[in-house]
Formats: sequence, structure tokens, C-alpha cells
Amino acid sequence: MTTTTTGGAPNTTPVLAGTLDTAAKQRRRRISPWTAVAVGIGYLVLVLFAFVYIYPFVIQLVTGFKTNPDATQNPLSLVPSPFVTEAFQRLGETSFWLWFLNSVVVSVVVTAGRVFFDSLAGYALARLPFRGRSATFAGILIILAVPGIILLIPKFLVLRQLGIWDTYPALFLPLIADAAGIFIMKQFFETIPVSVEEAARIDGASTFRLFWSVILPMARPALITITILSFQGSWNEFSHFLVASQDPNLYTLTKGVATLTSGQLGSGNQYPISMAASLLMTIPVAIVFFAFQRYFISGANAGAEKG
Amino acid sequence: MATESSGAASGRTRKPRSGGITTGQSRAGWTFVAPSVALLVLFVLLPIALAVWVSFSDWNGRGSPLNPDVNFVGTDNYAQILTEESLIKRDFFTSLRNNGYYVLLVVPIQTIMALLLASILNQQLLKARSFFRTAFYFPSVTSSVAISLVFLFLFSGSGAINEILGYVGLEGPTWFGDSRGLLHQLLGALGVWNIDSPPTALTDTTILGLSAWEWLSGPSVAMSAIIMLVIWTTTGTFMLLFLAALQDVPTEVQEAAMVDGANRWQRFRAVTLPHIRPTVLLVLTLGLIGTWQVFDQIFITTQGGPTKTTLTPAYLSYTYALDNNQWGIGTAMAFILFAIIIFFTVLQRLAFRDRAAARQRRRERAANTAAKKATAQTLTTGAPR
Amino acid sequence: MPATAVLALTALVAACGGGDDPAPGEGGGESAAGETTGVALTVLIASSGDAETAAVTGAATAWAEETGNTVDVQPAQDIQQQLAQGFAGGNAPDLFYVDASRFADYASAGNLYPYADQLTDPEDFYENLRTTFTFEDQQYCAPKDFSTLALQINNTAWEAAGLTEDDVPTTWDELSTVAKTLTTGDQVGLAMAPTRDRLGAFLVQAGGYWVNEDSTAATAETPENVEALTFVQTLLNDGSAAYPVDLDAGWGGEAFGTGRAAMAMEGNWIRGAMTNDYPDVDYQVVEFPEGPAGKGTLLFTQCWGISADSPNQAAAVSLVDYLATPEQQLANAEAFGVMPSRQSAQEDYVAAFPDDAPFIAGGEYGRGPVVAPAIDPVMLELDAQLEALRTADPTEILQSFDTNAGGIVGG
Repeated sequence: MTTTTTGGAPNTTPVLAGTLDTAAKQRRRRISPWTAVAVGIGYLVLVLFAFVYIYPFVIQLVTGFKTNPDATQNPLSLVPSPFVTEAFQRLGETSFWLWFLNSVVVSVVVTAGRVFFDSLAGYALARLPFRGRSATFAGILIILAVPGIILLIPKFLVLRQLGIWDTYPALFLPLIADAAGIFIMKQFFETIPVSVEEAARIDGASTFRLFWSVILPMARPALITITILSFQGSWNEFSHFLVASQDPNLYTLTKGVATLTSGQLGSGNQYPISMAASLLMTIPVAIVFFAFQRYFISGANAGAEKG
Repeated sequence: MATESSGAASGRTRKPRSGGITTGQSRAGWTFVAPSVALLVLFVLLPIALAVWVSFSDWNGRGSPLNPDVNFVGTDNYAQILTEESLIKRDFFTSLRNNGYYVLLVVPIQTIMALLLASILNQQLLKARSFFRTAFYFPSVTSSVAISLVFLFLFSGSGAINEILGYVGLEGPTWFGDSRGLLHQLLGALGVWNIDSPPTALTDTTILGLSAWEWLSGPSVAMSAIIMLVIWTTTGTFMLLFLAALQDVPTEVQEAAMVDGANRWQRFRAVTLPHIRPTVLLVLTLGLIGTWQVFDQIFITTQGGPTKTTLTPAYLSYTYALDNNQWGIGTAMAFILFAIIIFFTVLQRLAFRDRAAARQRRRERAANTAAKKATAQTLTTGAPR
Repeated sequence: MPATAVLALTALVAACGGGDDPAPGEGGGESAAGETTGVALTVLIASSGDAETAAVTGAATAWAEETGNTVDVQPAQDIQQQLAQGFAGGNAPDLFYVDASRFADYASAGNLYPYADQLTDPEDFYENLRTTFTFEDQQYCAPKDFSTLALQINNTAWEAAGLTEDDVPTTWDELSTVAKTLTTGDQVGLAMAPTRDRLGAFLVQAGGYWVNEDSTAATAETPENVEALTFVQTLLNDGSAAYPVDLDAGWGGEAFGTGRAAMAMEGNWIRGAMTNDYPDVDYQVVEFPEGPAGKGTLLFTQCWGISADSPNQAAAVSLVDYLATPEQQLANAEAFGVMPSRQSAQEDYVAAFPDDAPFIAGGEYGRGPVVAPAIDPVMLELDAQLEALRTADPTEILQSFDTNAGGIVGG
């Protein structure tokens, strides 16, 4: 009597069903004009917001092709006059592509590292009995509560102490440490039925083989989520790179492009160059985003669940 | 736990194998978890420990903080920041004031905007939902450096924003160069006080290093540009959370309320809001935690200026440590900020939790009763009310 | 097991100490470390632009070839921060620029190796420049050059406003009038940066300054200084002067070069910037007008700092010696507009750059920056307050400087 198949009122008898149908239709017709208005206003608001959200990116794209005076005098115009690629060329004269390469290397290493270590740890915390498991998990929860920015200077101190400051490992090693990813993987592995593992284990598989060949393939959605989050996080990371190194050869995109605004190019505001740089910086993440949209979105939800 | 017990059970029947399984799994467990634990210890726990030591020491930046020349100075650094009349204390409380206004504006606005957009997107008759969702979420995915550069351009003195304002006859300020406090301006315009000669009661009272007049300045124009930047960036993420939550609101209860004759707003308040309350709490918590840590955008756009109105504790801690070489002060500030974040998070959870749960339970009961009544009446009379 | 792991890691970390720590402050008489040939030196400079980087790199490379070493010259993105990180990490560059305003910090922390007496003809450097780089009676480094501020005037705007040679201001009142005349719709009379490094010139012209002669007492709140700041405030509120940020510029030179300001008050570095970035601007440089107490301007200078931790100090000293010859200093002057710090180079400089006469003249009545350890936050606070000078009370700004600086410099 209480189960519902659709969202509507329970269907009890055909007579009632028929009555309810008409009732529903009447309801729809009655509400319709108001709903239409509401939807109309909704569209208006959405379009307005979409404009506010998209226009800055269009300006970013277009300004890269303007000259300095044109950018300053006609900031809103969407047509560069004249259309020049001078900004991109000057950008090429800086170490931009070195920064790009560094970002790629760091992002790839961090992403691979996180995916591998987070899934290992997440599985162990979810399914493997070992002494201190709950203590370790409690520790991870506590670490999750530490706000990232607090660790900025502390990480600098440790990197120095370990002697790896201003080297490549300083760029990616601290980023591979990822409590949130472990949490997400653990939560996912807990949803895999134990019977699957039991079956494989009875077949005599070692734990690692079990993990690698049986469990991991089942975790594709979560793995892709971690991959996306890691890539996005490390590509866009800035404050960590600020303290991890100072050698210009170790600049990543974020740090290198940030220096463009502080006069590395000479005096004055040179907007086309900074717009060109930020455009090129955004493109890889944009490509990954549009290709894997739904994983980003599920990742945002998963990442929030830990809160 | 299930695994453990089954392992133990099989241990009783197949002795050698079981020992192998449980210890094998146990060893595997440790091996699996070791690299991550090592990394977390090395780059989260140890840094904190080292920084705590530095915050209680007089280390001046040369060599290792653990070398024997470095002395323990007790709470000297903390005292300089919090109690002694010094420039450091003034800087720190200025940064707290700035970040406080920032939090006060960003958290409610981004929450409301995210909820608004999610509600609109959640309407069933809407087309092109994924286009809008993508458009609103995209800024969250891009780098704060790139966004800050774009906004530096948009909000420059002769930039896009001021050009738009010019179309409606307003002359825009030099945004990132304008240090006037918005509250000062607003209340001045309303006649509460005269900006050029502020009430001496306010200018002469000093609280924690700043005059009362300075405390009441509100965010500066420059800070408000940064506030707009951040709201623009983060609304998309929270909108997604709200969307997911809204889609979970059970439609029978909605329908029941509709049957009751509730209009959209009443339905929203009575049915939707209680169901998404956990998400609202989550968004508020994440917002609080995030806004107290603002750093990247300050670094790229204003570096704490103009007139120190965009200084924040995170940025201040960084500059005192790395620019001024005062590592003890910098690390102490970071830990004070840590305490502040925890304090506000706990405060917010306490302030909202019980009332929310209670109200939610009450509303659910009321909605359920309404639904039952409607169903019952429909069943008995055969016609909708 | 987790406890053991953590303990092991901690032990590992503590063992990887920060390396050898030479006792701070060990100075004079210590011989330079390292070889003088076959060495790879790292040099960090705070470059004013491509011209300076090229000039320094060229000279350093020439020295390297002569002596059989290699040199890597890097322009810093943020020299203060990079040096701070370098000192903290124990891997500071061997040789680097040290600005006079930061000198006391580095010297008191023991980051600098005092080598000044190992140079050729150390007495040839200007006396007041040598004093600037002396800490606790020890001169740590050699001043590499100096600059002063003067007034730049856009000749085209000048003539367009109907002004002539006679109208070049020589008093504050004349400056005020001229600035107002030059202010048109989209051009402001005078661009000045809201920092003590520009506005301080007015204090000197009024007969005061932030601190006393040897930086042992804070002397900000005096009638002279109040008069100076009030004068600046009037210019700002009249609309005849503006800060670069209000003119969409990053610094005074950019506002001057793009025509948003008809006058600027920058130092001799502006010559290089104008030639490179704004070559079409026709301008002249004149000395500042006299204030109530006569002429006044500000001096800026930097020295070559050698890291106390550097293993290549001997080679670095040799490089500094090479870079500090009168010939090299004149070459630098040509390339990026700084003035030689050696007295023996003065005559040739004046002969080669007569246009820079106003800058050189400033060498006699110019005042250097405030030099005291850990004074930086106080100066930054002063700058922050000067940013709001339009609506602030000059007396309060000066009072607060005295309060803040009092604990550090005394008085």
C-alpha cells in the first residue's frame, strides 16, 4: 500500500488510478502558467549568469591577440584591432615551455603516485586486517582536518631539513601525500562485496594479486575520479611550488606565469602577455575537463563527502 | 570485520592455511599502507612538529632549526603577535579584520548563489541543463593564478568592469588600488557618520592594536574585487553539491505539499530546505575552512595592499617567514590561524546542528502526516483535494 | 609498529641536518674560502631590465674567460625572497645584490662575508656609500653604483601647456602651479609612487627625514616633515598629482612613458626604461625644486654581497674586483643608467653623460635610505599608510612611524 513505483500517489485500484490520472492532469494544467513563468525567469537568470561566467574567458582568449594599447583602451571589445600574435611570441621567448614541461612532469608523477598509493592504502584500510588499522584511519581523518595553507611554511622547513628543497622531488613528493584520496578509495572499496574477494582468495591468490587483478579493475570509476582530481590539483597548485623551490629551471606553469605579473617582462602592465599565458595554462585542464566532465562532477561530490 | 571473522573461522578448521591468510593479509595490509603513511608522516605530521618547534624558538633562518644554536623562547613569538603593542600585532589583527569581512561576505553569498542556481537548474522542465552546469562549474577547475590574472585585467582602472560601469554613467574606482572601506562609505552615504571627520569616540578607542574606526571599515574596494573573484570561482562547486542534494529530495513529499496547496516558496522552505540541510551545513563548513585560507589570489593581485586592506593571516604568515626572515612569527601565525579555523568550524557546527536535526525531524513528521492525510482522503473520497 | 615507523622517520629527518653552520658574525680578517680558478659561481641580481642583465652577464662572462671559471648570472624575480630562501636553505648564491635598505638585516644575521678590504683601492669608493654598508664598524661589501631621484618633464606636454624654459619649477609653489597647469583631462601633472622612496625627497627638501643622520633615532614627527607631507597631500587632492595605480601604471616611469603623467620623479634608471619601452617620448631631466630648507633628493645604492656560506668566496672577490673597476662602472653607466660609486670615475661620467647632470648633482645633497636591522616591516607599514595619504592625517602617519621605529632604531 505504501510502495510507490513512480513519484505519484500509490496506485491502488484501476478506478482510483483513472481518477488520479485526471486529477494529475488537472493539476498540471492548473499550475502550468505559473510554472512557465517560473521557468522563464529561471532561464533569464541562468542566461545572465552564464554570460557573467563565460565572458571573462572570451575576453581572456581575445586579449591574447591584442596589442598593449588596444587591450588598455578597448578592454571589452571582442575583436582585436589589429590582430597580432606578438603576445604569444614574446611568451615563447620566456621559459614558458620549460614551465609547461615541468608542470606536465609534476602532474603526471603526482597523479600516477596518488592513484597507486591511494588505492593501495584505501584497500588496506577497507579490507585488510592489520593491527593499528583503525588507528591509522583515525590518523588520516585527523590529517584531513588540517587546512592546507597551514602546512605551507612547515613543508618548506621539512624540505630543507631533508635536503631536497629546490630539487625536482620537492615539487612532487609532498603532493603525492593525499589523505583525501585515501579516504575516497577506502569508501569505494567498502562498497565492493566481500564475496568477490573471498572467492578469489579461496583460489589461492596472494593479496597483492587479488588487489591488482580483481579489485582494482572494479574500481575504475573511483580511480578515474582520483586521477582527475589529482591532475587538476597538481596542475593548478601554486602555493606549494612557491616554497618548494626557487631555481627558475624548476618553475612550473603557475609559478612561472605568476612572475609575469611582477615585472619579469620589464616594466609596466602587459595584459596581452598575461592573458596569453593564462589561456595556455588553462587549455590542458579545460580539455581534460570537457572529456571527463562527469568524473569531475562526481569527484566534487565525493571530495565533499569527506567533509 | 567480516573478513577478519571469516578468516578466524577458517583458521579453526584449516590451520596452516589460515595462519598464512591472516598474517599474509596483515603483512600485505602494512605494506599497502606504508608508502602513503610514510608520505603523510613526512609531509604533514613532521612539518607540523618542526613548525611548532620553530614557533617556540628564535631561529633566524640560517642552517637547520634543529641545530644547537637555536634557543627555546617559550611563548615570545605568540606574545608578540597577540599581546605586545607592536607592529606585528597590528598587522596580525589587521589581517584578521580583513579576512573576517571577507568570510562574512563570501560564505553567505556563495552559499545562496549556489543554492539559487542549483534550484533553478533542478527544475524538471529545463533544457540545456548540462550546458549551464558546465559553464558555472568551469571556473572552479581552472587555476587560481590564471583567474587572478584575468580579474587583474578586468578590474584594472581602465578595464572591462569600469567600461561597463561607464555605460550606466558610473565612474568605477581603481579597484585593486582603492583602499577605502565599504562600510565607511556606505554608512557615510547614509549619514551615520562623516568619512572626512570620523567620530572621535571611534578613532580614539583602540582595540587589539586597531582603532574602533578601523575595525568598522568593512572590506576595502580592493578586497571586494577579490571577494567577487572568489565567489565567481567557487559557486560552481557548491552548486554541484546542492544539485546532487536537490535531486535526492523525495518527490512524494513535494507532491503531497503541492496537494496541500503550498506555493513554491512554502514548499521550498518546508520540504526542500530541511532535506538539504546537511548539504547546506557542508557547504557552510567547506566555505568557512576555505575562506580563512585565502592566499593565492592575494599573492597574485594585491600582495596585501593597498594600505594593508587585503592582508590575510595566511599571506601575512608567509611574508613574515619568507620575506622578513622572522620564522618564529610566521609559524606562530600559521598555528593561530589553525586555531581560528577550528574554532569557527566547531562554532558553526554547534550553532546549526541540533536545531537543524530537530527541525528536520519535525518537518519530516509533518510532511509525512500531510502525505498520509492526502492519500487517505484521496482513497476515501476518490478525488484530489 | 606505527610508532616505530614514525620514530625511524623522525630520526632520519633529524639526521639530515642543514649541513655545516658557520658561526654567525665571524667577520674581518677571515680569508676567503675556495679556489680562484676552475670554479662555478652563481650570481643573483635584481635587474632593472634586459639592459642590465645583459651588461652584468657580459662583464661576468669576460671575467670568467680570463680567469678560467664559469659564471651563471640570474635575474631575480623577487630578490628578497630568493635570498631569504637561499640563506635558510644554506645554498644562497655566491654573489648577489644587496640593497642598502636590507643590508643591516643580512649583516646582523651573519649572512654576509666581509671582503671590502680585499678589493683594489677600497678608499676610492664614496665615503657615504661605504658608511652605508658598514655594520658594527665593519664594512661588509663594496657599493656597486648609486642613483638619485630627479624630476622628469615631458617636453611635448610642457610646450602644449604653454610653458617655457623659465617655468621650470625651482620652488614648491612653482611646482604646484606647473603641475596644475599640466593637468588636463587624461593627463595628470605629476606621477609619484606612494612610498617613502619617493615622497621622502620632499621631507629632505623641507629639512627633515624619517630618522637622524646615523639612523639611531626616529625623527619623523617634526614640523618640517608635517609640512612636506601636507604639501604632497595638497598636490594629490588638487588632482595635479596622482599615484601610478590611479593612472593604470605599475610605476611612475610607465605613467610618464604612456603619457598619463606629464612629469615624474624617478631615478636614473628611467633612462634605460624610456629608451627601451617608450622611445618616442621627448623629455628632459631637471633637479628637484627647492623646498623650505633647500635642495633635497634621495640616494639609492646597492652593494655586491658575498655569501658567508659560499665555498667560492675567493673567486667571488675576484669577480667583484673586476666588476668594480672604474672602466666597468662606466660601461654599466652607459648600459643601464647607474652612476659609478668610485670617485675616480666621476669626471669621465660627467663628460660622457651631461644629460644626467641633475642626477649627479643629487649625489651631494641626497639622503640614503633608513638602514637598521629588521626595519623592513616598519617601512612597509609606512608605505601602506602613505598609500592613503589623500585622506589621512600626516601627523598621525609620522607619529605612528616614530612609535614603530622607536623600538628598533632607538629614540
